[in-house]
Amino acid sequence: MQVFQRIGRAPIILVLPALAVLLIVFGVPTVQLFLESLNAPNFSIQNYSSFLGQYANLRVLLQTLEISAIATVICLLVGYPTAYLISTASKRARMVLIVLVVIPYLTSGLARTYSWVVILGDNGLINSALVNWGLISSPLPLIYNRAAVYVGMVHIMLPMMILPLVSVMLGINTSLIAAAKSMGAKPSTAFWRVYFPLSMPGVRSGTLLVFVICLGFYITPAALGGLGDAMLSTFIASQVSTGFNMGSVSASSFVLLAIAVVMLSVFGLNLSGTQDSAPKLRKGFMERFSLLRVVKQYLNELSVASRSKQWSKALYQAQGDGGWSRFAGSLTLTLVIFFLLFPEVVVIIMSFSSDATLQFPPSGFSLQWYGSFFGDEAWYGAAWTSIKIGLAVAALSTVLGTLAAYGLSRIASDFRGWLTMAILAPITIPVIVVGVASYFGLVNLGIIGTETGIVLAHTIGAISYVVVIVSATLANFDRRLEQAAKSMGARPFTAFMRVTLPLIRPGIIGGALFAFIHSFDEVVVTSLVSGYSVRTLPLKMWENIRNEIDPTVAAVASLLTLLPILWMIALYVTWWRARSSSQNTVLEANA
Amino acid sequence: MYGPIAAVTELSLTVRRGEFLTILGPSGSGKTTALMMLAGFESPTKGDILISGKSVAAVPSYGRDQGIVFQSYALFPHLTVRRNLEFPLEMRGVKASERAPLVERMLKRVHLDAFGERMPSQLSGGQQQRVALARALIADPPILLLDEPLGALDRNLREQMQGEIKGLHREFQKTTICVTHDQEEALTLSDRIVVMRAGKIEQLDTPEALYDRPATRFVANFLGEANVLDSPELGFNDQNFRGKVPMVRPERVRISAVNSPAPAELGQSQVVTGIVEEMIYAGPLRKYQVRVGDKSLIVRQHVASGQEVFAPGGSVRLDWLRADVRLLDE
Repeated sequence: MQVFQRIGRAPIILVLPALAVLLIVFGVPTVQLFLESLNAPNFSIQNYSSFLGQYANLRVLLQTLEISAIATVICLLVGYPTAYLISTASKRARMVLIVLVVIPYLTSGLARTYSWVVILGDNGLINSALVNWGLISSPLPLIYNRAAVYVGMVHIMLPMMILPLVSVMLGINTSLIAAAKSMGAKPSTAFWRVYFPLSMPGVRSGTLLVFVICLGFYITPAALGGLGDAMLSTFIASQVSTGFNMGSVSASSFVLLAIAVVMLSVFGLNLSGTQDSAPKLRKGFMERFSLLRVVKQYLNELSVASRSKQWSKALYQAQGDGGWSRFAGSLTLTLVIFFLLFPEVVVIIMSFSSDATLQFPPSGFSLQWYGSFFGDEAWYGAAWTSIKIGLAVAALSTVLGTLAAYGLSRIASDFRGWLTMAILAPITIPVIVVGVASYFGLVNLGIIGTETGIVLAHTIGAISYVVVIVSATLANFDRRLEQAAKSMGARPFTAFMRVTLPLIRPGIIGGALFAFIHSFDEVVVTSLVSGYSVRTLPLKMWENIRNEIDPTVAAVASLLTLLPILWMIALYVTWWRARSSSQNTVLEANA
Repeated sequence: MYGPIAAVTELSLTVRRGEFLTILGPSGSGKTTALMMLAGFESPTKGDILISGKSVAAVPSYGRDQGIVFQSYALFPHLTVRRNLEFPLEMRGVKASERAPLVERMLKRVHLDAFGERMPSQLSGGQQQRVALARALIADPPILLLDEPLGALDRNLREQMQGEIKGLHREFQKTTICVTHDQEEALTLSDRIVVMRAGKIEQLDTPEALYDRPATRFVANFLGEANVLDSPELGFNDQNFRGKVPMVRPERVRISAVNSPAPAELGQSQVVTGIVEEMIYAGPLRKYQVRVGDKSLIVRQHVASGQEVFAPGGSVRLDWLRADVRLLDE
């Protein structure tokens, strides 16, 4: 019991296990890499100058920035109106729309990338249709070019733009728009002068999140792009896998890392300058993960009466949304949702193909590819490996992440900001850099190419997700409940087990689920640290997509497409059930 | 929580056994920190806290044997009302078979016998408040701490709960310390009130004495309304009051027509004339704001039949007894 008293006084002890794993797998090797890139101990910038001195490298770097920037802008231009329409829709419609956006977000990125191969390929959906209708005689070059890269990247990143935007937009009090109009502002003026500035935090988090993830993108450009569309991550990955020059790998990783860090630190800060920057930095940091929270918020809000919100919305809408604009709105929403979900449908159809090669539409239907998945040890073995690794990652990261989140919630705020930033680093910086760093971390430990190694490499990212979700839950947790328990004679450990734990359990389960998904879908880091001796499902799929072996991958992808529906049900059940005894309800009743 | 600035700098006070003592102050006066220290959630950097002569400053909250009613109650949302009430008994090691009758009796006492199986979220604000009180009292702690106990209730319920709290205090005779910023709550519930300001005790006395004989300008203004008579038109000059400020409560001031007969006790009264700036009708009373020279005085008059009503703009005569004037420290 003495131990718990001491922990109560020094909550940082709870963060230490998570920090230790992070440092060993990621932090120390990052420093080593940095020293390596500078040719320590004889410091020089030779690696950087030779990296930047080569025209080809420079071109790849600029191309990486260009592709990321353009993909981000497209996501913003499509995502902003979509998010606006979602956030102003009726409550029921809003919930359905958010679920439709979350499903692709939870679907395996490989499966989604593969669907575009099916749609855009020479024998794919579009080309076959055009040839059949006699519009063209030979297939158009739709795939393996820059346009295909943008289509694929926007498809993957769009939910990550929309969800933070929706989360911020829902927080905007719509009566402010009504107020602006009552003061004589035209609808467009009210939008630009009031609504848009208030939605800026969402724009900032969505844009940053999408841009930084794009910087580290590897799978989609490699699968859909041509030879000339290589991104820096492809370049780094190929160097790591083909007996590389460590100085060059580390220099290029740090160039990428530097760009990401500059972006995060410049735009992560509050640009509006209304509040002091220190707390804002932390908030901005968490805001970027609000997409996780918006899901929860939504499932929670199902039956919470929000009459005031609706009243102001009614007031706002009463001021004239014409039939035409409503039609344009529905059309936009339909197109975006179609763009997000149609590829998944195509993959499901494709998986029942009776053809021997990739072509769409299939000439007949059969279960042969499911048969070849469940009949081939290489496939189901890989799936089993992935499940085992995923469960181990979920267990480890849930324990470490929950302890860390609980400890963080008790640490003085300045220090907490820095610690949170460190713990979230694995999911905020480009994934290829995390991959390179954990590669060296596992080499240090001598467990490269083992399942344990992969579990550790996945755990650092998974801890970040658990910390984000559990912290969000703890933020809603009224600390006075714990004080109340103590005032009634409960010791700190008893108070935690009897009061805190039952109330944050939904967050912990959600965190475990995201940790599992993170591990189960992970391919970039895994491909670097697996050393060709461990085969996970995503690795096997990736190999199959790259070599266009056969449509077995379609069967796998269609199975993976069904998983998010299971996840949604699991989340719904956990969070909805929690609602019935939720403290939020109590606080509302008291408010 | 408050950084390096001490939230409470000087707080030396003795609470009598069985007494209802209220710590009253505006936000930032240090009253919440004081309560947190009493509850054992924060420890004083200097000084000590004694209960029945024993120091508890280093004892954590779970070792103190106190009942606390939190602001917005802190009922455990995942436990039924019954399980909420059982919690403190369970933590003190009371056997399950002995817990049930105690819970039953307590539920009956707060008129919630039919609500034992409900979740806290299914109760109204007043019912939640009663569960919180019952939970704080059930393990029979010698001390009861209340944090803004009525703050979350609407006006009607608040009056009803005031009665309930007084009844429970009379019945259980617990030494009770209440923290609030609400002067009405403090005046109606307490045996004695401590008024705090900027981390220090401003005045400690019974409700009646505090209201009737405030020691400082701060106390006079914080509890009720005060007419500070610090201008020459009101008979004020520095010499005659030796650094103190004269004050009279609005209900002690009489308002009458300028030409009405002079008050009988002329020698003991102070009389001024002024112009009505504002008249507010508030049910049982009428409130006038009267300008005298460059000062505005407030007059509260109980509404009675046959009374003359003065419209804004008209001249009136104000008078009050010299005996009703109090001298305040700055």
